[in-house]
Amino acid sequence: MIEGAAPRFAVPECVPKRPDEASQAACRTLAQVLRADLRFEGLFQFVPDSLIGAIPPLDPTAPRFDDWKGIGAKILVATQAEVAGGELHVEVRVYFVDTGKSMLQRRYSGKADNPRTFAHQASDDIMTLTQYKGVAKTRIVFVSDRDAAKGRPSKELYIADYDGFNPRRVTVNGSLNILPAWRPDGAALAYVSYRQGSPMIYLAKIFEGQAVANLSGERGDGQSFSPTFSPDGKSFAFASNRSGNMDVFVANADGSQPKRLTTTQAKDTAPCFSPTGQEITFTSDRSGTPQLWQMDNEGLNVRRLTSGSGNWNDGCAWNPKYSEIAYTARLESGGFDIAIVDLATRQVRQITQGRGSCEYPAWAPNGRHLVFSCERGRRWELTISDRDGRSMQVLATGPGNNVQPDWGP
Amino acid sequence: MPSRTLSSLKHAILVLTLVTLAAACGGKRPPALATAAPGEGGDPQAGAGAGQQQPTETIPEGPDVRSIQGEGASGADIPGSGLTSEGGPLADIRFLYDSSALTDEARGTLEKHALWLQGQRGSSVVIEGHCDERGTTEYNLALGEQRARTTREYLVGLGVDAARLRVVSYGKERLLDPGADEAAHARNRRAHFNVR
Repeated sequence: MIEGAAPRFAVPECVPKRPDEASQAACRTLAQVLRADLRFEGLFQFVPDSLIGAIPPLDPTAPRFDDWKGIGAKILVATQAEVAGGELHVEVRVYFVDTGKSMLQRRYSGKADNPRTFAHQASDDIMTLTQYKGVAKTRIVFVSDRDAAKGRPSKELYIADYDGFNPRRVTVNGSLNILPAWRPDGAALAYVSYRQGSPMIYLAKIFEGQAVANLSGERGDGQSFSPTFSPDGKSFAFASNRSGNMDVFVANADGSQPKRLTTTQAKDTAPCFSPTGQEITFTSDRSGTPQLWQMDNEGLNVRRLTSGSGNWNDGCAWNPKYSEIAYTARLESGGFDIAIVDLATRQVRQITQGRGSCEYPAWAPNGRHLVFSCERGRRWELTISDRDGRSMQVLATGPGNNVQPDWGP
Repeated sequence: MPSRTLSSLKHAILVLTLVTLAAACGGKRPPALATAAPGEGGDPQAGAGAGQQQPTETIPEGPDVRSIQGEGASGADIPGSGLTSEGGPLADIRFLYDSSALTDEARGTLEKHALWLQGQRGSSVVIEGHCDERGTTEYNLALGEQRARTTREYLVGLGVDAARLRVVSYGKERLLDPGADEAAHARNRRAHFNVR
């Protein structure tokens, strides 16, 4: 029985089905990435390589289960691969070691140029054996100044795999492009661009290579910021100064029927939706300092969420699966850190500490990790943490300052 | 000129064909992995796949994001916007930390600006509100908006036609001074006047 504890995985080296270098190289990448993907999920333990090296090599189609049982493996992941005619063919078999039963068998075929994608697909397929949806195929959008020319401090949007690999540039206009937010279907991004002078919300349809300008319909001096889609993708909330000062609005996904939700003279901004779409949290300085406030999606039933801890709380991100909200807090130290408030107990737990300034949290679709940006040594870099702040890793997404991440499907 | 370089993002759409192998466990449902962390509903997909003959599935995958065409063509900044934070006929005014209130010094500067603008009837001005790097991206965008708006209201009160004044908030997105000391912060907390 494996109930009640993290099951112990053995992920031995991938076995090439052909001896050529291409097949061996693809195999090495496949096993390495698959291990990293499964490890990232934080649900499993792993048999150390030294123990795997101490038993006879794996026969992927007929493993000697007593050997694997002997080194403490509960789940055995056997992989084979070959490159033939520019195509990579991968076979993945997952065995339950105690009984020798096969739990999953998959064959993947595709272009050989990115073996990482095969490993991500295999990891997500293995995760279907758990109660959680894997994140290996998810992507993160972020803002970077890496392509800024001298004297032109542009910022553009980029999309990378969840592990920071494979960054692709999305916007190419040389202006400021900031505050990206995924549409829940993963096919479009809302963001703010200054390319026509005033900051306005645009919609980038990333598969069609098209952008819709001024999604929120600003006129004259109107500026809009902080777009965020409702979980069903049918509407979006944003901040606009069209009524004379910054307020939170909501509109249909195509920008029609905009509706003002906040009416104070204070700065009301940075909205985020609850997982049901019924509630909106936002930042307001109506009480003096920026704090998180909550209201329903009609703008009614307004109440303050953060209190006591922190004289500055901003930039909410509602966990899609757990009843909690991540945000940016200025705590006693004076620096900015990521914190999470449990909505049932109102207990606040600090996620980052002593990493420099951190801000702008966003949740993975399964709610088990969050990404944010931290400044260390005068450079901003994306960082991923689990919900407890125990496991933290900096994402190597490339050069420049990398900020304002949003985690997509 | 804005950079018009279309970064080449040619990635072939990788098609993964997913074929379930003839499974060894002969149609039985595989045991689901039990995990320690509670809280989420079960995944309806859990356990699917093994033991059943699945139809071949085509998954459009990964690197099929292209650069947004049309952006390169349509992307034109207001000339000079945000690029020449120093200079221009109208000097920047500065703000105190986390404040959009006009200091005495700022009011004095704005009175000179108003006089100058009365003599330049054909010109219009974009008032840029900027912040120092401390504080969050979103809040600083709101603060920069408030600084630019407060500045405009004061100029309008001095007789400058409101139609000649536009406001744009840059928050902390375009720092004038990249330093981290108080002198750099003070230079960054500014309203900049972009005369056109």
